[in-house]
Amino acid sequence: MNIVIKLASGFMGLFDVGAATFIGWVTGIVPKVLLLLILMNSIIALIGQERINKFAKVCSGNVILAYGILPFLAAFMLGNPMALSMGKFLPERMKPSYYAAASYHCHTNSGIFNHINPGEIFIYLGIASGIQTLGLDMTELGLRYMLVGFIANFMSGWATDFTTKIVMKQQGIELSNEMPQ
Amino acid sequence: MADYRAITITKGNGGFGGPLTVKPEGKKNKLIYITAGGAEPDIAAKIIELTGCEAVNGFKTAVPDEEVFLCIIDCGGTLRCGIYPQKRIPTININPVGKSGPLAKYITEDIYVSGVTNAQIQPADGSAAPISEAKAEEPKEEREFKYSADKKVSETMGTQAKSSFIQKIGMGAGKVVATFNTAAKEAVQTCINTIIPFMGFVSLLIGIIQGSGFGDWFAKLLQPLCGNIIGLLILGFICSIPFLSCLLGPGAVIAQIVGTLIGVEIGKGNIDPSLSLPALFAINTQCACDFVPVGLGLAEADPETVEVGVPSVLYSRFLTGIPRVILGYIGSIGLYAGK
Repeated sequence: MNIVIKLASGFMGLFDVGAATFIGWVTGIVPKVLLLLILMNSIIALIGQERINKFAKVCSGNVILAYGILPFLAAFMLGNPMALSMGKFLPERMKPSYYAAASYHCHTNSGIFNHINPGEIFIYLGIASGIQTLGLDMTELGLRYMLVGFIANFMSGWATDFTTKIVMKQQGIELSNEMPQ
Repeated sequence: MADYRAITITKGNGGFGGPLTVKPEGKKNKLIYITAGGAEPDIAAKIIELTGCEAVNGFKTAVPDEEVFLCIIDCGGTLRCGIYPQKRIPTININPVGKSGPLAKYITEDIYVSGVTNAQIQPADGSAAPISEAKAEEPKEEREFKYSADKKVSETMGTQAKSSFIQKIGMGAGKVVATFNTAAKEAVQTCINTIIPFMGFVSLLIGIIQGSGFGDWFAKLLQPLCGNIIGLLILGFICSIPFLSCLLGPGAVIAQIVGTLIGVEIGKGNIDPSLSLPALFAINTQCACDFVPVGLGLAEADPETVEVGVPSVLYSRFLTGIPRVILGYIGSIGLYAGK
């Protein structure tokens, strides 16, 4: 009998630990993310997609703008996955590189700006919750994640320019370097 | 001209949506599958047999949307499950996933069915008409119509506002309030559809991992890899290996679980908090590798660009994987020092 009781209480214990974690997140994280989401949705609605598109066209002329600034702002304003759509203003040859940079930007910036990638936030939040448990400020981690990410993502985007050249040679396909109309 | 037949697909155990009746027609005759690792799913063979269509691996080859009559995905509910419904292409999800992810509002019963296995695919009995192109176009037109109607409303508002200062203020305030209110509704939807379900799932996982002692066992396995920078470099390297990176990608689920486990160990003091930054880079070197064709599709890339872009991004992830972890390590100097 004792074994049965132990098993039963052990089984329910699994849910106690999980439930405590869940409540901690729902009360601690959800309200903050929700308010941030509301503000961001409003700002985007007020600025309007057209003005964002115009800006994207300006960025296509320069690699730092195209793989650094543009994906950063696109991630901030549009979030995952719509940030990836801003690649449409770049020449075909730059699109893979933009993708490489922008998809990373949807992660590295999500530490500070939770609204960017709510579906995949636990990459950051999982690790950051450990920092929180220790009683340290997770903002410092989020900020460094974003800043280091900015450099690393630009590097990842630019490196893709080279791999694209290699693959083009391999497959015998030549992608256009012309600006889209 | 091949002879095509219609099929009806109903939802499976725990599934959502459907039944869908589809039939390949004319140029619109391709079945596209975008599933983990690019392997052909079991149900594809049955659909080919019943309809006489052509199957295409969406990871390898890009197909123009207008040639796709049906799409098979295996999304866990983060993102991909909404992409094709958004384009109004009939979608089968092998996983039993309902309205979920940032594109949840596009996942509707008339275009999406999930939890599907071979048992749910039957030849159509003729009682339901196949989803036709005309029907697929309809909502688009409706949306565009709404948009232009909306524009006119704002235009009229603009011209009216010129007439009086008070009216201008009233209109402006009304517009701002309405914008914020709509934004709030959308945000609440995102929380309910995406964030809270995932929190529940991860919490349950944490409960089981912590409570069962599995966590301690796994942490011992993980600790040599995550407890020091060399191990993190190895972890980052493994995650970035082309092909493997595609398998680890979907929904970032694996990265999120590993992240949570590392977080638990940091909280216990087994891993130094300063390693949290390089760890963030190490567990995510495979970022979005599974998503390249769809992501490039969002950027309106040509089929050739997708052909080149998929291997190109996989290679560049591989090349930059380790340097990213090193950058993270350099960036972590002084992080949480002396606390």
